[in-house]
Amino acid sequence: MKATAAATDESLAIISAEPVKLLLVDDDRDALLALQAILEPLNQELMLAESGKEALRLCLDHNIAAILLDVRMPEMDGFETAELIRSRKLSRHTPILFLTAYRSDEQLFRGYDLGAVDFLFKPIVPEVLQSKVSVFVELSRSERMLRRQAEEIARTEQQFRAVLEAAPDAMVITSEDGCIELANSRVDALFGHDRSNLIKRHIRSLIPSWTPVGGGAISERRLSGVRQDGSSFPAQITSNPFSTSDGRFITTAIRDATDQVRTEARIQQINQELERRVAERTAALTYSNEALRQFAWAASHDLQEPIRTVLSYSQWLAESSKGTLSAREEQMLDVIQQQAARLHQLLGALQQYIQVAESGESKWSEVNCNAAVETAMSNLRGIIEESGAVVECAPLPRVMGTNIILVQLFQNLISNAIKYRSSDRPKITISAQLDDDAWTFSVKDNGVGIDPKYREYVFGVFKRLNAGQHAGTGMGLAICKAVVERLGGRIWIASNPEPGTLICFSFPREPKP
Amino acid sequence: MSRSKILLAEDNAADVWLIEEALRRQSLDVEIENYTTAEDAINAIQRCGVESASVPDLILLDYNLPTGHGGEVLAAAASNPHLAAVPKAILSSFMRPDESERMLGLGACCFIPKPPSLHEFLTVVGKQVNTLLSQAVSK
Repeated sequence: MKATAAATDESLAIISAEPVKLLLVDDDRDALLALQAILEPLNQELMLAESGKEALRLCLDHNIAAILLDVRMPEMDGFETAELIRSRKLSRHTPILFLTAYRSDEQLFRGYDLGAVDFLFKPIVPEVLQSKVSVFVELSRSERMLRRQAEEIARTEQQFRAVLEAAPDAMVITSEDGCIELANSRVDALFGHDRSNLIKRHIRSLIPSWTPVGGGAISERRLSGVRQDGSSFPAQITSNPFSTSDGRFITTAIRDATDQVRTEARIQQINQELERRVAERTAALTYSNEALRQFAWAASHDLQEPIRTVLSYSQWLAESSKGTLSAREEQMLDVIQQQAARLHQLLGALQQYIQVAESGESKWSEVNCNAAVETAMSNLRGIIEESGAVVECAPLPRVMGTNIILVQLFQNLISNAIKYRSSDRPKITISAQLDDDAWTFSVKDNGVGIDPKYREYVFGVFKRLNAGQHAGTGMGLAICKAVVERLGGRIWIASNPEPGTLICFSFPREPKP
Repeated sequence: MSRSKILLAEDNAADVWLIEEALRRQSLDVEIENYTTAEDAINAIQRCGVESASVPDLILLDYNLPTGHGGEVLAAAASNPHLAAVPKAILSSFMRPDESERMLGLGACCFIPKPPSLHEFLTVVGKQVNTLLSQAVSK
């Protein structure tokens, strides 16, 4: 497993263009200059030495690509110089070309023994010298490039290992089929293994249920990790496949998920507890709602009975005592009848209000609102005729609900409009329009209007704005609000520059089933 | 023509008095056998036609009764074969629609309301009872 070299082609091109150093050694100054002149066109850095000693000194300080060495020199000849050059570390592998005037086998053998790569015989043929030296220049450049590449690779690999070691998780790099190539020190800590023993073993010795991951995507999974002592722990596994020229590999990060699992279990437990409490609370509320509903129903019904009797008997008494009571006594009997009638009326309104709550979704169907308005008007025929009211109704949509409560809604709105009329003949306009996703209904009249400060108040239970025996029950708009809200809508009194009242209510286009 | 007999289950004495007044104004000579609890009414209904006990011409049941409701009394009447031909009417000021359906299923022939106005009460109750009795007698 090698880390990919980070050196770019560009930097390698610069390296290969750099001139290399060539060392020319000859005791004959003229011959040396002649060599220099021949090699000048190669555009390399030429270093000149007139003795073996000088050549050795230059070899110590410079990285020489190739040495051209004259064999016959005073004091230290070429072979002696070559022997010393070879003995030095920096120049041990530097190629040496010997220059000689004699072709003797003895010299050749000695020269090759000392690491000569070639012999050139004087007189020098410039083209031959140039081409031989060019080869060494190329070799040196290639070697230099390879060395830089190797350094780069080593540096990258070092960085990579540093990153691997610094990772907070146990990191394992495996071949595509799970053979461990590399592991960081966290693997030792997490699994209690000596990681050097893990190399070339299968990752299943750490994670028995490991399976290869396909594709190029990072995958997360929860598997079981097994420590060297055989104990296991929940492991969060993140696998990241990648490709190199050596094939496909998988980087796998392994984290001990024991705490996470515990936390998750705790959260689940808390959620279950919460659900149980909500269910309990809902059951309690449902029970108390049902109890309340039954109570309200029974109360309004049972209260009707005695008041009906009081009503009948006060009428009976008035009838049978006709002409025998004083004016004052008749007045008193009148008050009893009026109040009994009022209580009867209030209880009736309360029953209607309760009936709205009874209209559960299970009883809903599509209701034709125009038909509901017709029914409401027919129920109100008496007061409509008596007041001369004109009711105009535009085409209305169908809405989900029950006929009985929608009739109640329109009936209360129309009767309110008539009851609170001005001195003008009552005129009521009912229309509906679809905006965005809701149907908005408008019921407009030319009556006395509602003071803006009472716009909320009038929707309250038993809330009235007028006193006296002709006053309403204070339940009319409360029932309207209950109906609209029961059907998932809202109702409000809109501001209207014209005299009278504009009541709007809207239903979502597709009410809850 | 023998005197008609009505088995009435009604706990409110004021209503019994009103019913009697309604029948009087219809000029009906009727014997009313009144029970004020569901239990008493059921016992009486189970005895009807057994041995020498008589069978009423009409059964009138108030819906709300102490110790039970009209439905239970109606069920008892339905299980007495001697009462199969006797019309059974429910008296009530107001009934939930699902309840009234149940009553019809248990053999009620009709509902007689108790209107809050005296005049209406006397007229409605008197006329309906008169009609039911004349149907029962003609059979």
